[in-house]
Amino acid sequence: MTAVSTKTEAAQAASVPSSPEPKRFWLSGWDARYTPYLIIAPFFLVFGIFGLYPLVYTAWVSLHDWQLIDGNQGFVGLANYVELFGDAKFWNALFNTLSLFVLSTVPQLLAALGLAALLDRGLRGSAFWRAGVLLPNVISVAAVALVFAQFFGRDFGIVNFLLGFVGIDPIDWRAETWASHLAVSTMVMWRWTGYNSLLYLAAMQSVPKDMYESATLDGASRWRMFWAITVPSIRPTILFTVVTSTIGGLQLFAEPALFDPGFAANNSSGGSDRQFQTLVMYMYEKGFRLFDAGYSATIAWMLFVVVLLVAVVNFTLTRRIAGKG
Amino acid sequence: MSRRLVGSVAATLVMVLAAGCGGSSGADGKVELSLGLFSDFGYDKLIEEYQASHPNIKIEQRKVKMEQHNTQLATQLAGGRGAADIVALEEGVVSQFRASKDKFVNLADYGAKDLKDQWAGWKWNQGTADNGEFVLGLGTDMGSLGLCYRRDLFEAAGLPTDRDAVAKLWPTWADYAKVADQFTAKTPNVKFVDTGRNVYKAILDQTEEGYFAKDDSYIADKNAAVKTAFDTAAALGTKQQTGALEPFSQDWNVALKQGSFATTTCPAWAMALIKAGAGDGAAGKWDVTTAPGGGGNWGGSFLAIPKQGKHPKEAYELAKWLTSPEQQKRIFKETGNLPSQPKVYQDAEVQATVNEYFNKAPVGKVFATSAESLKPTYRGTKDSKVTPIFNSALQRVEQGKQPAADAWTQALKEAQDAVK
Repeated sequence: MTAVSTKTEAAQAASVPSSPEPKRFWLSGWDARYTPYLIIAPFFLVFGIFGLYPLVYTAWVSLHDWQLIDGNQGFVGLANYVELFGDAKFWNALFNTLSLFVLSTVPQLLAALGLAALLDRGLRGSAFWRAGVLLPNVISVAAVALVFAQFFGRDFGIVNFLLGFVGIDPIDWRAETWASHLAVSTMVMWRWTGYNSLLYLAAMQSVPKDMYESATLDGASRWRMFWAITVPSIRPTILFTVVTSTIGGLQLFAEPALFDPGFAANNSSGGSDRQFQTLVMYMYEKGFRLFDAGYSATIAWMLFVVVLLVAVVNFTLTRRIAGKG
Repeated sequence: MSRRLVGSVAATLVMVLAAGCGGSSGADGKVELSLGLFSDFGYDKLIEEYQASHPNIKIEQRKVKMEQHNTQLATQLAGGRGAADIVALEEGVVSQFRASKDKFVNLADYGAKDLKDQWAGWKWNQGTADNGEFVLGLGTDMGSLGLCYRRDLFEAAGLPTDRDAVAKLWPTWADYAKVADQFTAKTPNVKFVDTGRNVYKAILDQTEEGYFAKDDSYIADKNAAVKTAFDTAAALGTKQQTGALEPFSQDWNVALKQGSFATTTCPAWAMALIKAGAGDGAAGKWDVTTAPGGGGNWGGSFLAIPKQGKHPKEAYELAKWLTSPEQQKRIFKETGNLPSQPKVYQDAEVQATVNEYFNKAPVGKVFATSAESLKPTYRGTKDSKVTPIFNSALQRVEQGKQPAADAWTQALKEAQDAVK
């Protein structure tokens, strides 16, 4: 919309006959007022096409009985939503999603914070360590999942082998809800901890060093300095990572899907009793396996609402916690 | 949701745009045909040959995993573009796609009905709709059923190892379960069978009606055959005689390599998977014999032509050639995919084929015999919705999470919701 209005303005500007000097003055005013909009316009244009339009279209689809291949089968109003609220599989997937999110995100961000603090202390060969923590994030998720699926194998997995040394019986990692959540969370943590710690590190390096010096003079411990100076100083970054990991964590799909060996071959979806089926996996099952696009779109919209709610809650909580000295 | 959706929509758009560029007449005036497949159909050499004899045709194969293939095809049919000129439909999903047959070319328009007699009657029927008036796809291979077993593990358990003697051990699945008991009594640390789910599917595939009656009504709750199949497989699971493995998964491969199970259901195409998983070290240890309960069919595919393609005529000619008796015979010799045409599997040369890896088993004979006594199961339109539910139920029994009776009750309830 911005692009259209600026075009008209430009056309008007070109058509107005006037002496060179006032025109230049006029143009520079125009420049200062509208150029910023012009520059960010492409983003909104692209967002409109690829963000807003699918969002609205998904909402439209969710109000219909819509089959993936055969298309619209008629308007049903809120029937899909009514069905969804009574659907035990939906609540199960929501529980799994939230559980996996908490299990993976909370330890992940705390570990990232600690890792960043260590990296910030000027280790030898710091570039090596910094590149190193990012490595898990560079490896493709399929490769990570393949390796972790083997680690957590029931019969010949290395985790069960190691647990055997401390007298723990082999665990069927895909059969138990808590075990599968733990395994999938480990995978997520492995991938994202390093990435977040680099973000924290970048923020920590801009904290003024004299604050630490005066704190040292006052006899503050490292622990106290970390919580009283470092954490409040990097609060904006913490908020940013909390919001992005909320969005990412609640949309978890690839890790749990690839953790289920039957996902690609036998149409299973997150364990024999949906032990680790997330909302996105359920959406996939409904939309692309059962071809129920209308219901799938309904799940998509509910997920959108859940992400929004949790993001707001997390944002508020974190701002409070990180704000305390 | 928005971001993921943006991503997937963008990705789809890119794919559609990219695909939109192909599939038409190339710059050199050649007709370009694409083939959408999901595993090894054994077409590589055939395609080269076809291109040589048809200089105006250029063929491109697209191979992806089956799950991805089905999903992609569904979105491409929905979007009206991007699908390959010829697509493979697996037996398990063909009924699901048959429901959207208006997106496909009726091959009868190109004279496909004249080819009818090439195929086994049931195979031809699976690929048609409207009482045979609409020809959706031409049959490729079929998955006639055998049973594979480890000779060395049978010997260790004091069972016969000769394939005819083994076949005599289990005329029925109840006998098979008795052999399992004998086996477990002698060698309790080795699983008798890889997974109860495959046993279940094998038994079910020997009945004419499974989850759905021939009029497409849902009967799983009333059909005694389904319950019997479930109970037989679940009993193996309850007694922990199964490896509780995900069929054809990485764990399954490892178990094959470790020799931790002694038998597995063997459709013709599974032999290649067993060989790949067990490796050269196990050459001659596996053997194949007749399955309990006679013949059955598991898998096999069809070649169909989506309407959106630009060259249906040329695509039909190619599909017809690829599924012709001569080519099916060649494919069997090269890959072991069993022909779905009686004339071919009764062919002397096919009958004489042995598989070196499986202790020189006369696979041509084993599978042809099984094909003769085969009673194909009717697949309902919603078969692919119901199947995973019962599989998961059996998996819960094998995992020790649920008693068989509870798993069955839960499956019936979920299936009832799924077919609503």
